[in-house]
Amino acid sequence: MGKSSFKTRVILFFAALLLFGAGGETYAEDELNCVLCHKHRGLSRIDENGNFRLFYINEALFEEGPHVRVKCMDCHQDISKIPHDPAKKVDCTTECHLTEPSGQKKFSHKPVADLLAKSVHGKLDAEGNAKEHQQDYPGCKDCHEEPLYRPLSFFKGKAPGISERGLSRCKTCHSTGNFAESFYKHVTSRLQKMRKPTEIVGICAKCHGDKGFQQRHDLDDVVTSYKETFHYKAIRFGSEETPDCMDCHVVKGESVHFIEGQDSPTSASNKQNVPTTCRTSECHEKAGPKLAGFQVHVTYDKDKYPLQHYMLKFFTALMAGVMYFFMVLIILELLRRLFPNFSFRKPPDDDHHSSK
Amino acid sequence: MAMPKYPIICERNGRRYFYRFSLHQRLQHIVLFTTVITLSLTGFPLKYHDQPWAEPIYNALGGIDHAPTIHRIVGSILLGLFVYHTIYWMYLFYTRRVLRLKKEGRLTLGNIGREFLAQEMVPNKKDFYDLIDMFKYLLYFTNRPPRYDRMSWKEKFDYYAPYWGIPILGPAGFVLWWRDEFSHILPGIAMNAFYIMHTDEALLAALFLFFVHWYNVHYSPEKFPLGTVFITGYLTEADMIHEHYAEYVRIMTEQGLQDEIKPQHH
Repeated sequence: MGKSSFKTRVILFFAALLLFGAGGETYAEDELNCVLCHKHRGLSRIDENGNFRLFYINEALFEEGPHVRVKCMDCHQDISKIPHDPAKKVDCTTECHLTEPSGQKKFSHKPVADLLAKSVHGKLDAEGNAKEHQQDYPGCKDCHEEPLYRPLSFFKGKAPGISERGLSRCKTCHSTGNFAESFYKHVTSRLQKMRKPTEIVGICAKCHGDKGFQQRHDLDDVVTSYKETFHYKAIRFGSEETPDCMDCHVVKGESVHFIEGQDSPTSASNKQNVPTTCRTSECHEKAGPKLAGFQVHVTYDKDKYPLQHYMLKFFTALMAGVMYFFMVLIILELLRRLFPNFSFRKPPDDDHHSSK
Repeated sequence: MAMPKYPIICERNGRRYFYRFSLHQRLQHIVLFTTVITLSLTGFPLKYHDQPWAEPIYNALGGIDHAPTIHRIVGSILLGLFVYHTIYWMYLFYTRRVLRLKKEGRLTLGNIGREFLAQEMVPNKKDFYDLIDMFKYLLYFTNRPPRYDRMSWKEKFDYYAPYWGIPILGPAGFVLWWRDEFSHILPGIAMNAFYIMHTDEALLAALFLFFVHWYNVHYSPEKFPLGTVFITGYLTEADMIHEHYAEYVRIMTEQGLQDEIKPQHH
């Protein structure tokens, strides 16, 4: 057997690997077997800017996400050969090869990007000029790292995960590939919040909880103040019934990407609209419009929240007064026990040895 | 003041015990402390939700699905106890003092006022002098500890703590519970005020009870680990001498045991 035939065999072997997915279990839409390389945890490099870049794809996680049926090349359109050159940043507004079934249009996230651009988080102001501190305005991936589905199981009550019994009904007809699983997850995960409320608070807090960000945009620490409300505390202990940021800042029926500042007359947090926002059917349905006077983001600032500021001062002073007084008393009492006859004054009426 | 079924001095195994609380009063106290402890356990994990101890305690008490319900039911019981106790002492005041005045034909507003002030839980001049005596003792001006009567100023302070705390905590909690209904009559900012009242007064109450009150009745060196008067209703002679010397001397004298009175300082 000559050298050249060995080389041919090696090439054929790798070609077979690429074609038949010998790199392990690959997800359905990976026609080019990209995970052959990207499955390796160490696949990384230092880019031109000196940043560490990791190109590893966790297949198990990827399969739980909404992009599992999208071909790699649909998003990474600049890749034309394998091994490929450094790929460009993915533009989420490009059309991918998925067809939106109701209108038979090519799918794109462009409508979402348009909504975001119009919202308070858009990079341009109403006149089309760039807003100050451009770096602070979010792009898609600032809030959406690779998202994961949270499917619901309706059989025997709501539980997270796929209901095998529910799925079995789909699979009777939709038996090809993993279509039924994907479709099940696609629909059921949208029947509840895509993420846990604590995750949503965490996403908003990435920017809104940052002191420098707050100063640059003259914003209050809305994260800390929100965390003082029962709304958050219930969420913190696992409830999904009380509101997270989105529930109060997105107009009911509107996309979550279209959050407006409270100055906008159509904003959910505009003074005129707060009564409606609080009293949606899922929340304080029976409440009167006065409930809107409840201040959610209290910072105890003397000028902005004088009532809360002075009440807090009063209770702090009361607590300090009572506790310091009694703590000092206890310490003095304990010390006194050690030295029962240590008085520096011995007045004649000091009759502790008598019975009266 | 003791009813005949509770002898003022009870002797067991050669030791003297002094009557303090009736079974009825002890039961009220049991309801008081069990509700307050339960309210603390179902309330403070919310206030300090970011602390590592918060979640396990809260989950042990039913978590977010049940703990708020427990908190509300137990809170209602405590409010009920508060009302009950107020009616209780008013009833005692009426039957023991007002009716007596009536019988004696001295029923005037002035006499009712004097009788009101003479009740054992009402602060009086002696409390003020006791306080001065206490500081003299604690600051080494004298070796003679204060001689408290039946209720020392500390016990009166303990007693008024719930009388200040519950009217602040209870209604505030009640409004926050029925916030939707109350929002028809109260402005929204009232909920902010009630929230601060509820949470901050609760902290003060808990700090006071679990540090100061429990020090006085359980942690102090001669009581540790547990004072038992809240269970038995009787105080040992040593505790009487230490905490209620004036009352001790009075009772011993009344019972004809003046020769056996022990010195306060030992």
